[in-house]
Amino acid sequence: MTKKFSLTPYLFLSPALLAIAVFVLYPIAAVFFFSFTKYNISTPPVWVGLSNYQQLLKDSVFWLALQHSFTYLLVTPVLIFLSIVLAIIVNRQLPGINAFRAIYYIPVISGSIAVGISWRLIMGNNGLLNSLLISLGILDGPIQWLAEPGYALPIAMLVTTWMGLGYYMMIFLAGLQNINEDLYDAAQIDGCNAVQKHWHVSLPGLRPQLVMVAVVSSLAALQVFNEIYILFGRLGGVLNSGVTVVFYLWRKAFVLQQAGMASAIAIVLLVITLAFSVLNIRILEHGTEVE
Amino acid sequence: MRTKLFALLVLVSIVLAACAPAATQVAVEPQTIKETVVVKETQLVEQEVLITPTPGPNPMAVIDGVEDGAEITVWTFWLSPTFDAYIADVIAKFQEAYPGVTVNWEDHQATFQDDLRNSFAAGNAPDVINLSISEGWVTDFASQGNLLALDDLVPQEVIDTYFPNLWDQQLVDGKHYMFPYYQGIIVDLVNKQILDQAGLKVEDFPKTIDGLPAFCKTIVEKTDTLCDIRLTVTDLLAQMVYEGGVDILSEDGKTFTFDSPEAVEWLQMYADMVKDGSVDQTVLITTDDRVGLDLFTSGQAAFYNTGPNLIREVRANNPALYGYLDVVNAPVGKSGVVGKGLMAMSVNANTQYPKASVALAQFFTSAYSNLELAKLAAVYPSTPASYDDPFFAAAPVAIEDSAKPRAKDAVAALADIVPTVPSKAEVNEIVLQEIQKALFEGKDPQQALTDAVTAANELIK
Repeated sequence: MTKKFSLTPYLFLSPALLAIAVFVLYPIAAVFFFSFTKYNISTPPVWVGLSNYQQLLKDSVFWLALQHSFTYLLVTPVLIFLSIVLAIIVNRQLPGINAFRAIYYIPVISGSIAVGISWRLIMGNNGLLNSLLISLGILDGPIQWLAEPGYALPIAMLVTTWMGLGYYMMIFLAGLQNINEDLYDAAQIDGCNAVQKHWHVSLPGLRPQLVMVAVVSSLAALQVFNEIYILFGRLGGVLNSGVTVVFYLWRKAFVLQQAGMASAIAIVLLVITLAFSVLNIRILEHGTEVE
Repeated sequence: MRTKLFALLVLVSIVLAACAPAATQVAVEPQTIKETVVVKETQLVEQEVLITPTPGPNPMAVIDGVEDGAEITVWTFWLSPTFDAYIADVIAKFQEAYPGVTVNWEDHQATFQDDLRNSFAAGNAPDVINLSISEGWVTDFASQGNLLALDDLVPQEVIDTYFPNLWDQQLVDGKHYMFPYYQGIIVDLVNKQILDQAGLKVEDFPKTIDGLPAFCKTIVEKTDTLCDIRLTVTDLLAQMVYEGGVDILSEDGKTFTFDSPEAVEWLQMYADMVKDGSVDQTVLITTDDRVGLDLFTSGQAAFYNTGPNLIREVRANNPALYGYLDVVNAPVGKSGVVGKGLMAMSVNANTQYPKASVALAQFFTSAYSNLELAKLAAVYPSTPASYDDPFFAAAPVAIEDSAKPRAKDAVAALADIVPTVPSKAEVNEIVLQEIQKALFEGKDPQQALTDAVTAANELIK
């Protein structure tokens, strides 16, 4: 028996498919083409074959940026841990708890530019941090936090963590509130203390949220840009100390006008994020099978 | 009857209005004419009608053949909202001089360069563009074929209205791509309070660049205040030329030579200042002038090298500092030249209306426009005639105006002494990476510059 072809579903899908084609597939194809060209945005591209990829392999700043981007992934476990702890703390019926939940959420809605500028002021030579550490006698003189290569990435990661904490906390909070209270009662009867209850009940109950947050936050970490730009400006910090792959891509395209090279970086980043997505989907599928 | 009479009067008014010129071009005295109109019913009606005589050619319209009905767009750089009224006035005067041309104005600020590059890529770049000479934007965009060469479009008598040293800046292959607009005199703003704490006087401020390290060391030792000095990280080669007196290219222009003893000495000076811990490293390599200005404005720096026009920012954002403010001449480098020009107006190479666009770019940079802007901020005209105005003869009152009496001579001495650098952006990036290694990683300055020269020569081979 042959299936009868029906045009109707395709008609329903066509607006979305058209949007994906225009805003996703075409740009990817264009970037793929530009990655084989010398292109400065202002003038037409010139075909150079694999030259951009060859240069990329020899580009020490690109490798440094790649290393920084992978280092930035450390934000993910830290964010997950802290936001679960925070979610557990605010998952209580205490007076004024909604105010605390709102306060923790403020960085999420503040916007990365405003947050970045605030942190730049805190970390400035005469900023809050130096003043505090000097007044406590921990430092003799100010440290130029934002100009010390060793501190650049940790500071940016701290800002990202601070900004994302409230958002992921809300996701975990929603997950915690879906866990049946009977399970905690049963755990208590079995002799679990508070920490053990969360370890044996909350964490398994939060598995779907954990997977989702891991996927979203790791992809966001790989694509970090705003924090780097606001904290360290168009150079990405002293000795490229804050440069990540996306920042380097932007710098190549819009500061140095090497859009061909930037496209090659974009393709490499696409491959990496695709690999990450596949890995995450595998983990997700594995989790579903277990469930 | 009254209706018919009214209709007749309306008809007469319409006919008279139609005979009047389409647009007012120059200010002329209106004349009152008494006219007698005979109506059908032989009633005599007297009325007063205002008519305007046909105007003569507007002396401010100096570009011939401007396209009638042209609609053009101009982008200015960081002039709004402070100078909105000035811009509106200039555009209104332009439209009086060139009736039939419509001007759309947009002001772009921190993202100006990105916006402009994207608009060129998208094919919707503005017709007239306010570009920075000091940042080298004119040569950047002109060398990419984005700007219109003006040589065949601007009459010699118009060229002669500008300082020759300014008109001949930013040439690409010997062609001119900009009208010089407002200029700045590079000065150092000084915070007298910090200098007092350091036991220094304004008169102690270094007259030459090589006096800065010792000056900064004294300030940091006495006040724990770091020096607010900024490298031109987007064009370090130019800074080497002005400050270090470095020959960056061989005479034939085919090899780079910025690893000479003069260049090493220049770099060593900055490396020593970083090593001493006497400069704010965040400001030292920022691409954003406002980062350094903000530090000074917040009262956390002893001095800052900028234009007197930005004193208004200090006054607006920290009025308390204004009382401790002084202005001194910027220290001179080994080249003996303090700097090049500041701002320009250029025309998009692909404009649909080249004549109208050239006319607008010229109008913005005319003696009239330059003078009007100079009255509003401490910037200086690119047109010698503007200095004949009594405004420049008046004694300065505010700190912002302190450079006014010597402005004409200072502007006339500005010079672009940097040779045209092949693959400029890429070479500057190579230099930036190596200079950072010398400053922050302890790499030997000679080695850093030699490595940069090797890589740069490889690039243009």
